[in-house]
Amino acid sequence: MPQRMFRSYQGLILLGLCVFFISKAVNGQLTWYINSRFVPLTIIAIVFLAVMAQTIFSENRRSRQHELEHPEHHHEHDHAPSSAALWIMIIPLAIGLLIPARPLDSAAFTTKGFNTSAPLVSSDSSAQIFETESQERNILQWLKLFNYQDDITEFIGQEASVVGFVYFGDELEADQFFVSRFVVSCCAADGFAIAMPVRWEKSNSLEQDAWVVVKGKIQSIDLNDTRTPMIVAESVEPADVPAQPYLFP
Amino acid sequence: MMPAGSATWLWDKLNVFATVFLGIFVEAVPYLLLGTFASGLVEVFIDRDGMSRWVSHRPAAAAISGAFMGMIFPVCECGVVPLTRRLFKKGLPLSAGISFLLAAPVLNPIVILSTASAFGWGQMLLWRFVVSLIIAVVVGLVFSVQGEPDEVLLPVLSGGDHDHVHAGAGDSIGGKIRKALLITVDEFFDMGRYLIIGSLLAAGLQTFIAQSTLLSIGSGPVLSVLVMLLLAVLLSICSTVDSFVALGFTGAFSFGSVLSFLVFGPMVDIKSTIMYLQVFKRRAVAYIILIPFMISLIAGLVFNYFVK
Repeated sequence: MPQRMFRSYQGLILLGLCVFFISKAVNGQLTWYINSRFVPLTIIAIVFLAVMAQTIFSENRRSRQHELEHPEHHHEHDHAPSSAALWIMIIPLAIGLLIPARPLDSAAFTTKGFNTSAPLVSSDSSAQIFETESQERNILQWLKLFNYQDDITEFIGQEASVVGFVYFGDELEADQFFVSRFVVSCCAADGFAIAMPVRWEKSNSLEQDAWVVVKGKIQSIDLNDTRTPMIVAESVEPADVPAQPYLFP
Repeated sequence: MMPAGSATWLWDKLNVFATVFLGIFVEAVPYLLLGTFASGLVEVFIDRDGMSRWVSHRPAAAAISGAFMGMIFPVCECGVVPLTRRLFKKGLPLSAGISFLLAAPVLNPIVILSTASAFGWGQMLLWRFVVSLIIAVVVGLVFSVQGEPDEVLLPVLSGGDHDHVHAGAGDSIGGKIRKALLITVDEFFDMGRYLIIGSLLAAGLQTFIAQSTLLSIGSGPVLSVLVMLLLAVLLSICSTVDSFVALGFTGAFSFGSVLSFLVFGPMVDIKSTIMYLQVFKRRAVAYIILIPFMISLIAGLVFNYFVK
């Protein structure tokens, strides 16, 4: 492949990646792939890709002009860089365009597993979660509280309101289901699911992976020999997929 | 309606695969760009043999200074490969380059901060730093008997070496930046494809191998370290954030096992191995993988058996 054509393809692929990232940033799907605190890095990458593409195209223009002005110069760079490199770079675009985007859900449970307890990050303290209004706590915070507080009597009977997707686990009874979220530190590759059991008499009217808001009172049960918070639901309403489907530790 | 069963199963798997793959890719691209741009800047702003004047040629001193170069070039495991190759071209001694390659993904300000925010300024951070430093220096010294970088580096086929930069790029600052950007593009394509192949492989393994099975066999002081080392390779996550992932294992795994994950993961994983294979000869890659593996394993065992 002649040098200039190779360059043009490089420029087009860079532009394609740039547009792909922009579209993900605009429709809010970047956080389906990475933790929101890395979004600024992706924005920087978008600018970078655009500058690189522009550099390539202007370099090509320059070289064409150079050839017109000095036709006697034979172009020395006419060797062909392998085009395999170009094809591979198209793969992310192809996957992104052909497979409809979908955040991690219960389909990933079989390989990624799920937890009903969660570790505390050193930069957050249980005191902080403690002070959070009970209805403001998310699934992760409830699990942390039950992990790290010795005395949980205070939480029993508190009002909870959490958002998550439905998962039916084998370890539960017929009138129960899990409300779950994925926790992502870096990107979807490290995502792990956490889940809180819910008791609701109409549990079997729900569908797996449906997003719901669960409101009810907290109770403590033993699940796999671990003290686990359970919501005795007063209402379970369908919900939209949150702008950030994952929780961040 | 599609018949439930294998078709939906496959579709679900494909969705998980796509999400995990794009997750690794989107996360890694900024870091790869940072590394390749650093490489481009090194090419245009540091003259030939520039590095050899700054870094000592005595093997031990070179290995130690190489290990700390990450403090100046804060790159993680994707960006460090092209940058190291470029620094070799600028006369960086072999032992310094190898120890830079292994240490920079951990011994850099960003990773130190992220480890501290996950584990606090304590034992884990200290030992992660110390063990990584030891490994980097040891491997650097092992390579110092090889002499010149050319003996372990593969000849450059495309991109990196004969930079397709047209004559007349000029020596002005603008011209130099433009040249650096063109090199960035070439190296981004050169390394990017291996990043993509590595991410495809990692996403595929994650989609089909159950992490829970791996974790459930991982009890006992020896097996747990081995499982953590394997997981570090399998997950292929960036060293800047792996501490948060490691934190998730602290409940089920001992200090030593988690430490081995944090030390080995940044040095060796699926995508970095594939990138190493494009830059170094096979025998060199074997050393770059096996020595860190052995030392991480030993460190994990020492902590499991002798410390609390």
